[in-house]
Amino acid sequence: MKHTLYASAAALALSAGGALADAHMPFAEGEGAFNWDSYAAFAESAPDLSGQTVTVSGPWLSPEADRFDILLNYFEAATGAEASYTGSDSFEQQIVIDVEAGSAPNIAVFPQPGLAAVLAGQGQLTPLGDDMAAWVAENYAAGSSWVDLGTYANASGEDEFYGFFFNVNLKSLVWYVPENFEDAGYEIPTTMEELIALTEQIAADGETPWCIGLGSGAATGWPATDWVEDIMLRTQPPEVYDGWTTNEIPFNDPRVVNAIEIFGSFARNDDYVMGGAGTVATTDFRDSPSGLFASPPGCYMHRQASFIPAFFPDGTVVGQDADFFYFPSFEGEDLGNPVLGGGTLMAVTDPSDATMAFMQFLQTPFAHEIMMAQGGFLTPHSGVNLEAYASAVEAGQGEILLGATTFRFDGSDLMPAGVGAGSFWTGMVDYVGGADAQAVADAIQASWDALN
Amino acid sequence: MDNIAGKKSGLTWAVHISVAALVLLWIFPTLGLLVSSFRTTDQIRSSGWWAALFPAVQNEVFRTADPGEFRVERDGVFVVEGNLYVVAGRADTDGDVAAVVQAWGTSSRAIGAYAPGETADLGDGETMTVEANGDYVWTGSDDQLSGRGQRVFVTAESPPEFTFDNYQTVLFDPGNREGMAKAFFNTLTVTIPATIIPILIAAFAAYALAWMEFPGRALLVAGVVALLVVPLQLALIPLLTLHNDIGIGKGYLGVWLAHTGFGLPLAIYLLRNYMVGLPREIIECAKVDGATDFQIFVKIILPLSFPALASFAIFQFLWTWNDLLVAMVFLIDSSGETTVMTRQIVELLGTRGGDWEILATSAFVSIAVPLVVFFAMQRYLVRGLLAGSVK
Repeated sequence: MKHTLYASAAALALSAGGALADAHMPFAEGEGAFNWDSYAAFAESAPDLSGQTVTVSGPWLSPEADRFDILLNYFEAATGAEASYTGSDSFEQQIVIDVEAGSAPNIAVFPQPGLAAVLAGQGQLTPLGDDMAAWVAENYAAGSSWVDLGTYANASGEDEFYGFFFNVNLKSLVWYVPENFEDAGYEIPTTMEELIALTEQIAADGETPWCIGLGSGAATGWPATDWVEDIMLRTQPPEVYDGWTTNEIPFNDPRVVNAIEIFGSFARNDDYVMGGAGTVATTDFRDSPSGLFASPPGCYMHRQASFIPAFFPDGTVVGQDADFFYFPSFEGEDLGNPVLGGGTLMAVTDPSDATMAFMQFLQTPFAHEIMMAQGGFLTPHSGVNLEAYASAVEAGQGEILLGATTFRFDGSDLMPAGVGAGSFWTGMVDYVGGADAQAVADAIQASWDALN
Repeated sequence: MDNIAGKKSGLTWAVHISVAALVLLWIFPTLGLLVSSFRTTDQIRSSGWWAALFPAVQNEVFRTADPGEFRVERDGVFVVEGNLYVVAGRADTDGDVAAVVQAWGTSSRAIGAYAPGETADLGDGETMTVEANGDYVWTGSDDQLSGRGQRVFVTAESPPEFTFDNYQTVLFDPGNREGMAKAFFNTLTVTIPATIIPILIAAFAAYALAWMEFPGRALLVAGVVALLVVPLQLALIPLLTLHNDIGIGKGYLGVWLAHTGFGLPLAIYLLRNYMVGLPREIIECAKVDGATDFQIFVKIILPLSFPALASFAIFQFLWTWNDLLVAMVFLIDSSGETTVMTRQIVELLGTRGGDWEILATSAFVSIAVPLVVFFAMQRYLVRGLLAGSVK
């Protein structure tokens, strides 16, 4: 408690007569680009919840956990309820144990829909109701796709809305160092054809265009699945993508194999990848962007989701030292500008009045803006003030999210775990190791068949 | 005689070499971890820990000071002066710089274009000079010296660099200081009872199984041995359900009971085998003198079994101290009040687990207490390890 007091005292001294802000509630009421009206309206309409508690469990650890704690502090101030968050790196195992044994938290934050759907099917989740579903459809960009992603069959097989998406990440991004592009005279590609031409040009200049790393401990291979999904969305209509994630279109369909081979044209070419194609599978995805910042540059481009700046070297100013461009679509395909993303969703595992009030709180633009202002958070909520984003880069990503003509969720997260978090990952590792694309796709389809 | 002596020394050599190999096998990773705990994330990502011990030639990217703030006008041209290492926060004054610049450049395509002291022509009268100690002079027109500082690519030989920042973060960072201290005391709250309770129960049980005649004794011993091979993971969910049903829920009582249960089979087995090996005559003499079983246990068996008790205490202490699984299942609830060291360390690793320097540092912080316990009791450990094996 002591350091809080000191921090409050310091903030008080600094703001000298301004509104009070401290480490627990760093944004003073009425200041900043926040929608304070929505906060005030919520505080007024919310019942007095003194003495009640809301417990939230999720996969976020430091620093996301600290940011979420600040959101909870504002909720506490508005309602009088006690709210706490605990994070776990093995959240997906932990929540199953807790739910099974009957000691679940009030709200669980799922990193992907698959597990939430399983728990909903066992009757362990509480539906959020049609009102909430209608609200999401109306207020989120590409709203109906968010509702679909949060709707699962309950224990008796009927579809209900369970999952509320909060914090989304954007995967269709290519990161680069603007000054390196300037030194070499490269232009940012706006179509996939230009991107391929740029790749060839960089290689022809004797440099290495890409940094690709698939290593991620037990999850090794997932970065490649994002590549394949992004390419699927750029070579096939979204309906084909949807069919692929549900296996209506088999994994060894020529259209999927084609996407894998396009990925291979980047990742399996020794001239295109830092360290050569042989190192792709063994380079950790957290280490792979470091080539961008090496001297001389180890590579010029890195395709990765919006969270990757967390692994840039200390002191990197995103937006100046490093920036991103949209992983472009093929000019020849006429499929619009598809966006691939992922996200965490909140579901109620142990309902109470305070819990439902908290879910209401998450619908206010304020709840999103307070997270946006702390960085590392993107939202498809169309009612938020984009100026609240911590940086221009994140505001740009937020805009891509709001302006997406097609938004599709990370396909491997939609597939059954045995495929999407199993054979798809290992298959991609085999593929970059030199296996034939058709053979890899056949093997993944066989593992999918074996699940049914 | 020479032959015999020669043979003996050959064998000794083999023993020495294998012992040395084993010791190195253990020391190397630990040493690597120790060295890594004094390095920054970027250093860990860019080179191995063994490279950290020697001066190395490295290519680095620096940036001059921001022209908007630091440029001065001299004879019609603007000048920014300073030291690259000072600007980067790597030295306090330019006298402190220990690195020696061997070559430098201003374009990522030609990072070693110039030697120290040379003046580079950046076009249209813009120039840059970098000295061997990192001092630079950047001159140009109003337009050229604007925006951000100029990037300078430097090839320099730098001495080894170490930092205490990681320890600072783990132990004293305001963000997690309360958490670490709380976790430390929580861990002690879990560990001490979880060590004492099983020893108490197991000592009684072991005496009964070793020296009291009753029907089914052999079967009971066999049952205890059989329990040794049951993986505890099997029991996690049923036990937690039971705890919830009888109202214990998640908490210290639950985690003590769980650790006690999971520790008991080994404790009973170890202590029983030790007690069986005690001389029968002592116990028979005591019985002849009219001692009850309880008196024999307290006055004779317990003092004699001290090495076995102590060695089991060390085992149980280390296992509960390092435990994450049981604590996660039976203790840590969503209130966030009950957290243990292992869990706190996992949290410090960050959401995507890339902070290796924190992991290395936390490892050394968290082994401090077990090391003290081990050195305080290690003379019993060796004796106790042999418990039951030599009769």
